[in-house]
Amino acid sequence: MKRFSTALAAVMVLTMFLSGCQIQKTVRIDPNPNLGSTSANGETAVSNKVRKDPYTADQIRIAYVAHDLGTPNNQAWLEGIQRECASWDNIQVSAFNGESSAETQVQIMGDIINQHYDAIILQCSDGTALAPSVAQAEESGIPVITLNLDADTVHSALVMAVDYDAGRMAADKMAEQLGGSGKIGIIQGVPGLHRTDNLEQGFRDTIANYSGIEIVEAQSASFEKETAITVMNSFLQSHSDLAGVFCINDAMAEGAALAAESAGKGGQLVIWGADGEKDALAMIESGQMSGTIYTNSWDEGSTAAKIALLMIGSEYSYNVLTQTPQVIMEPIVATIETVGDIAAEDRW
Amino acid sequence: MNNINWGKYSKPIILVALVVALTVLRGTTFLSVGNIANVLWSVSVIGIMVCGTIFVFLLGGIDLSIATLCGFCAVTVVEVIHYFHDSGLGLFVGILAAIAVGALAGLFHGFIITRFGVPAFLVTFASQSIFQGLSMVVTNNKIVSCTAPAAFTAIGSVKILGFPLPIYFMILMALLSWFVLRKTVFGRYVYSVGGNATASEISGINVKRVTIICYVLSGVTTAIGGIILASMTQQAAAATGSGYTNDVITAGVIGGVSLLGGEGTVPGAIFGAVLMGLLNNGLNLLSVPSTQTGLVKGLVIIVAVAFDAMQHADQSRKKVRKVVKKTAS
Repeated sequence: MKRFSTALAAVMVLTMFLSGCQIQKTVRIDPNPNLGSTSANGETAVSNKVRKDPYTADQIRIAYVAHDLGTPNNQAWLEGIQRECASWDNIQVSAFNGESSAETQVQIMGDIINQHYDAIILQCSDGTALAPSVAQAEESGIPVITLNLDADTVHSALVMAVDYDAGRMAADKMAEQLGGSGKIGIIQGVPGLHRTDNLEQGFRDTIANYSGIEIVEAQSASFEKETAITVMNSFLQSHSDLAGVFCINDAMAEGAALAAESAGKGGQLVIWGADGEKDALAMIESGQMSGTIYTNSWDEGSTAAKIALLMIGSEYSYNVLTQTPQVIMEPIVATIETVGDIAAEDRW
Repeated sequence: MNNINWGKYSKPIILVALVVALTVLRGTTFLSVGNIANVLWSVSVIGIMVCGTIFVFLLGGIDLSIATLCGFCAVTVVEVIHYFHDSGLGLFVGILAAIAVGALAGLFHGFIITRFGVPAFLVTFASQSIFQGLSMVVTNNKIVSCTAPAAFTAIGSVKILGFPLPIYFMILMALLSWFVLRKTVFGRYVYSVGGNATASEISGINVKRVTIICYVLSGVTTAIGGIILASMTQQAAAATGSGYTNDVITAGVIGGVSLLGGEGTVPGAIFGAVLMGLLNNGLNLLSVPSTQTGLVKGLVIIVAVAFDAMQHADQSRKKVRKVVKKTAS
């Protein structure tokens, strides 16, 4: 009964807490949490969590394990986490670079668990590969909050930007800008990544509703701007009547826009990205790009930090959950008409 | 017919076969000036870098730091431009600074390798982390955009006779590199040291000096590659140039450059780079799904390298026959 009360209270606090955040978010939580003390795999789990008060003198250490610290998204999340924790001198945030490798992240997770950090904020390179580490951390009493990519094990929370819906929204707006007809291409990232695969699927499923729009090309540029320039050049060579291109991330959309300009088609093609980086927003304003799906990554990082602090300060433990609670960041469809609504201080 | 040494013509045969195949499959598109320019543009940075790195390969050395050094030089030029408020002076100083960084990096490699006898593999393996770390510190691990001055963005994108400027840089670097290796005493020293360092030392060649100069040349061409790459993408970051070490080594190996030293030519290395570009372009034009491109690329590269190995085997057999004949007579 005590566990049930604790779980219910924590879920209520979490919901109230997040509803107070500035940007709209959707919170998905287990509607009927397992009231017993069994974990997802059916085994009895005992919580090793030690409650601390992060807002007093207790020393708190939060680890942020990035997929690749060099990317704008990962940097923005880190800054969001740091901003959230900056008001308390007793909270220390340490960033670790996963170097785009699940193996490196597993190693880092092992080190963090051994050093008894108080919470981990993790962007998994691979949800399956990281699952044992996440489970180990939770069993050790360290709450794990994942960013964008879920770990294949129940854990404290997942804070994510929309993926399938982002593709859907981009497709609808792109179709509108194309007037419902035309040949388009897709510049993909690296196949096999859950988030970007979902994004592309959302785009494809939605664009299929527009009979006048034909996807004539789909090639990978490995998320790289430079490679995207080459791929876009190939698209333009193969299809002189290409009307638009959807890129799985903004860096590639920026590359596609540069290629279009170089081919003398600057501003004539409908070019979409899907992150909302500040450079992409500037290109939308200058007419080089047509749109992107903006997510406030600073707020996403800050939200993850808020949840981490909440978990640290509560008796709430992952082992009362049957599925991971999700917080979904509300996206903004940024086009030339709406990009001005995104304030300078929200551009990451 | 049996007397024709097919191995000798392996590179042109592969190139022609690929071009013919793509022309048949994607005719006008493939042979258009725009597409040929795209292929050459996409390999221009690799081509420029391999023109300097080939000196290191010919010594039997290796430079594993070129990718991160390329990134650091890109960061250098962009940061200096910003420091001078995106002015033309900033571009001039930035280019000089980036080239100086590349040359100093090469000097550092050459010095450590020759002074302390540390294998090139280890020195450059370690320094790649140093350069990446420096880029991260300087940029605070963020992407630094640079869209001005116009002369900077023009370096990577302006077209002359339908071909972007980086292609002309690649051709110029290839000619310079070819001239140094084929027409100068220093070039002969490089082949000699790569073939047999001890014999070269005994015959009076200053092996240490040759080694240091080769690493400096590699650093300088890497810096030029970094500057052009930054201009092409109008930005620089710690990750700029990632993957280029593999690409440059692959281009060299496909082009017949022996990583054991002493063998290889600039046209061969450029051939390797162009073949990679053609392959990528062909796969794009044929709309091969990205899940299958790695497989196709791998197979074509194996065929290219096998042809080259065949050529070497032929040459070796002929040399052995000659020696046997001489001994017998």
